[in-house]
Amino acid sequence: MTNTEAKTTLSVTIDGEVFEARPGELLIEACERAGTYIPRFCYHSRMKPVGMCRMCLVEVDTGRGPALQPACMLPCSDGMTVSTETPGTRKVQAGILEYLLINHPLDCPVCDKGGECPLQDQTVAYGPGESRFVEEKRHYEKPIPINDNVFLDRERCILCDRCTRFADTVAGDKLIHFMDRGNNTQVNTFPDEPFASYFSGNTVQICPVGALTARPYRFKARPWDLDETVSTAWTDSAGARVAVQSSRDKVIRLLGIDSDPVNWGWLSDKERFAFEALNSDDRLTAPLTRVGDHLVPTGWSTALERAVSLLSDADPDRVAVIGGARLTNESQYAWAKLAKGVIGTDNVDSQLADGLDPELVLGLPRATIDEACTPGGTIILCGPDPKEEIGSLYLRLRHAVVHDDARLIELTPTATGLSPVAAHSLHPRPGEVADLARALVEAANGGPAVSAAGVSAEEISSAAVAIDGSVTIIIGRASLAESADCVTDAALQLAALPGSRFLSALRRGNIHGALDSGLAPGLLPGRTTIEAGAARFADAWPSTPASRGLDTAGILAAAADGRIDVLVLLGSDPINDFAGRPLAAAALETVPNVIALDMLVNDSIAMAADVVLAASGATESAGTFTNLEGRISVCRQRVTPPGTARADWMIASEIARRLGFDLGFDSVESIRAEIAAVSVVHSGLDEKALAEALVDGLLIGGSGDIMVPGVVGVSPSAHDAYSLRLVASRSMYDDGVALRNSPSSRGLARSVTLRLNPTDFDKIGVDRGTVVRTESAVGRLLVPVEPDPGVPVGSAVLPWAAPGSPANTLIDPFSTVTDVRVERA
Amino acid sequence: MSRFSLDNESIAREIISRYPRPKSALIPLLHLAQEQDGWVTIDAMRHIAELTGTTPAEVMGTGSFYEMFKFHPVGRYVINICSNITCQLMGAESLLEHAEAKLGVKVGGTTADGLFTLEDVECIAACTEAPALQVNYRYRLRVTAEDFDQLVDDIRSGTARDIPEHGTLSLVRQSIPADRGAGIVPPEQAREVSVWMARNDAAEQN
Amino acid sequence: MADPLDYIRGFGVTFKKLFEERLTLQYRGGKGKPGKPDEKREKGLRFHGRHVLNRYEDGMEKCIGCELCAGVCPAKCIYVRGADNDPDNPTSPGERFGYVYQINYLRCIHCDLCVEACPTQAITESKLFEFSFTNRNDAIYTKNELLVDDNGKPRWLPWEDWRDGEDEHTSAWMRATSPAGDHRYEGVVAWSGELGHGVRSPEVGQSDSADESSRPEMATTEVEQ
Repeated sequence: MTNTEAKTTLSVTIDGEVFEARPGELLIEACERAGTYIPRFCYHSRMKPVGMCRMCLVEVDTGRGPALQPACMLPCSDGMTVSTETPGTRKVQAGILEYLLINHPLDCPVCDKGGECPLQDQTVAYGPGESRFVEEKRHYEKPIPINDNVFLDRERCILCDRCTRFADTVAGDKLIHFMDRGNNTQVNTFPDEPFASYFSGNTVQICPVGALTARPYRFKARPWDLDETVSTAWTDSAGARVAVQSSRDKVIRLLGIDSDPVNWGWLSDKERFAFEALNSDDRLTAPLTRVGDHLVPTGWSTALERAVSLLSDADPDRVAVIGGARLTNESQYAWAKLAKGVIGTDNVDSQLADGLDPELVLGLPRATIDEACTPGGTIILCGPDPKEEIGSLYLRLRHAVVHDDARLIELTPTATGLSPVAAHSLHPRPGEVADLARALVEAANGGPAVSAAGVSAEEISSAAVAIDGSVTIIIGRASLAESADCVTDAALQLAALPGSRFLSALRRGNIHGALDSGLAPGLLPGRTTIEAGAARFADAWPSTPASRGLDTAGILAAAADGRIDVLVLLGSDPINDFAGRPLAAAALETVPNVIALDMLVNDSIAMAADVVLAASGATESAGTFTNLEGRISVCRQRVTPPGTARADWMIASEIARRLGFDLGFDSVESIRAEIAAVSVVHSGLDEKALAEALVDGLLIGGSGDIMVPGVVGVSPSAHDAYSLRLVASRSMYDDGVALRNSPSSRGLARSVTLRLNPTDFDKIGVDRGTVVRTESAVGRLLVPVEPDPGVPVGSAVLPWAAPGSPANTLIDPFSTVTDVRVERA
Repeated sequence: MSRFSLDNESIAREIISRYPRPKSALIPLLHLAQEQDGWVTIDAMRHIAELTGTTPAEVMGTGSFYEMFKFHPVGRYVINICSNITCQLMGAESLLEHAEAKLGVKVGGTTADGLFTLEDVECIAACTEAPALQVNYRYRLRVTAEDFDQLVDDIRSGTARDIPEHGTLSLVRQSIPADRGAGIVPPEQAREVSVWMARNDAAEQN
Repeated sequence: MADPLDYIRGFGVTFKKLFEERLTLQYRGGKGKPGKPDEKREKGLRFHGRHVLNRYEDGMEKCIGCELCAGVCPAKCIYVRGADNDPDNPTSPGERFGYVYQINYLRCIHCDLCVEACPTQAITESKLFEFSFTNRNDAIYTKNELLVDDNGKPRWLPWEDWRDGEDEHTSAWMRATSPAGDHRYEGVVAWSGELGHGVRSPEVGQSDSADESSRPEMATTEVEQ
């Protein structure tokens, strides 16, 4: 090593032992790696240190004699000597704890944190044993709700700044703040302005005392009677790692697990509280069959017999399967094998016209979240608002942009949750994002900047200049009112940027696992097509489909035409989720037989299902989950399913057996073994590798046999002067059946409003909030209208699946864009 | 009595323009709000948040740190009687009692006519002239009960001309010429030394 | 091969016992002893019987649903669930109350650890052990059955053999949070000012040397005795 080379490690002496610390590493982290725990309250490894609590004071000698220094604020330096167990350190630790307990109430038996409380634990370990404080403690009104789900008990707060720092630096929702000063310092919200954050549950998890408690867990159990297992959050495709905790065979809490490549310990409130739907009283505990207008409970053999007789009577081409994103990878594979191998239909689609071309997602070079968040890199968002759809991804992207100097360029029809931190927000007219992408790429490659899709040449050229370093393009459906082909074309344009990689932002649960399992027309499990991959399945499967089947829009159109006899709803609700409610309703009216697998009765099931098979939920069955990067992580069973509900793969096996074919599965491990054997991309998926990657998951890379599709060449029809172009985008809380059944999320769906640019709003000539008639070629809605400068002129923004006003009423799945006329009602 | 008036809003915008980051203008804007209404209203904080691109919680969190910002209505004249040791020894307690009797309110209260608010405060740095008090932060020193009565009568009759109404601060309205401004470029990004700093450097070298 | 005489020897023991004094005791008396068979014997000072859930004098329940009793129970026979108090009509002081409280007497070993663990003296034991049930549901005592009545007395359930005055007995508990078994703490209520139902002082006289002078100083509320 020469002198000019920078030292890669620093020698730090920790309690007499020499330890090699990394340059820039904080002392508290180095000590932890060396096996010496320094007590702390305010320090959190995923946030900047503030040195608020002084609990981590240790004696540090840098050559000038030992002095007390906060280990969380002190970067290691070469030759530093640290003593964590000297009488001086012990005395200050006891003193700090005695000081913190001056105002902290000793109501541990009542407090939810009791038993898992850092203050309790560290007082036992480092505390003085007795307090000299005999005076009255500070009093505040006991818990005050700071939003619908989180309570704040200011008496217990030790002012560590964790929740307020999280709200400010991580979530970007600075709605809680220290108020007042001195002895009266308290965390609080502004009067009448609740902590309306999608990420508020994280503050409860990181609170080192019981000051913040969450309504769903409040007083439900104590830490010592919780059983815990590692699993993966199932409400979106980020695959955030969670600890599922249950008591008396009931899931009562989810906590985020710090997985370095994925969610860093954070969860959105939807991921955190979604388990409530699984505990719903309306859960299916037994199969149902239709008798007249009613669905009545029945036994499994009756229900399965009925389902099997429907399936065996139908011509394979007249059977279709919609859905599957709710299922685990293993269940998806079992269903793919049943549908494509045993029944022999290729009319299988896990997306409800709300996703992207599977071959685009699987064929493009993929990025990981870490690669997307490369410091100093460029992120191009050509997809949905991550804050509304994929909360954990939003937090990672926001961190990259705010703290790691990544530049975000948005190509979205309206402002998103990331717009405040974006370097450039370009809002193309609906349906024309591909034109904007072409113009941007041309400008970035040195060509002249020209205006496109309603975005000026200046904006495009300044955004093009910002494209530098590693380039990650996030693709997805920013608006469900325009065709997926628009995104396909835009993605193919952006693929011309040198070194660009793609991160798919399809939201729906395990949708990426479904695509990998072949639950899409023309695909087989393991990222291959029915043409290229058929040979590999010759032994394991009885047959593979010969020709490409229909996608969901095609299936529903065929069903409405009377060309489908049996429709299988694999945890899907076409009425509410398909981008085209009139078509979905017509299809369900017409199709003679519907078999559904689900946990709750959704609107489609209530309307059309003949047989409903009760499925188990995410915490009730074992399996694996594939996130948007292609990362496979385990979901473990924590509780038993209600009643006689079964895992989806068991139902597939049972149906296959009754159809005269043994799928050959007796456990999820046996399914995984078959996946690893037949799939080219899953060859590394074995039990040992999975067990070793318990926290971070196994990344499954490569495109297999999938080729990137060609440019579709969409050209939206001309826009007449009287109508507005609809943008329908998802929000975190909507009227989905799971959210309807979780008490803490039910009330959070925002009331529906049609948002227009103030210019367009003024043309209608009504007051803010007036109900207007919004009419498209296929449907009509009555919704209140309000102006929003974030909406471009000529667009109209409507939330997807809002309670009472489903936006898909207006959408025709076969048209490129949706034009609506907005008139006084 | 709420958001900034149009005049004050334009002053607020001018104040914001003096800083590299709008958030830095929070304190002067809170002063401006207090000058307008005598106290900082909820709506004023919302307005400040809109103008500076912060959240109302941040505005309130910043402002509530400071005793001199009032988040509840106070009288037009806020009387602060020092209650620390020197003043206490020199009779501040009896002065406070006398003040309570004279004004007919307890400490922290406001007279029914909305003219006076009586407060006891920590040391106001006038120990040599104890007992001391402030009226809208203007000192009165070595105050006796008679002095206090005289003061109240003077204010009521409008003869105490050196005491402005509560909230008035002249510095908020100061007009800073362009060459005296600190510049609106964040310090870490500043490539050129601002005019006034260059002038100071030159003066030092001479 | 066993010795065939062992059979006869075995029966010999049986035969001999027929004429010996019986070891089985009646409640009182027995063959040749004074008193009626169904009279209860006096129980030991620290005898552990069926639990009671106590109230404060104003009728508020003492249980706060903290589950410490369930946590410490070696037989895992206690099931507790807490819930939020209705601020306008609270069940117990503070935020939390015991919403579900069950003890399964098929499992309970009357070790009294729950009583020691309870931070509010909500659960104490009576001396009643004469209760037998004919089905499992009766064996699982619910909160309503365990909770003292409006007079602060244990409820007399149909299958329990209560005698007059027995509902005054407690199991002479000691605080786990004081040095275990230290006689100097006898009669000292260490956390709340009240004991049992309503205000009642702890029982004294368990140990010979308990007296005021040997008692350590504690920051507690003492009950007048």
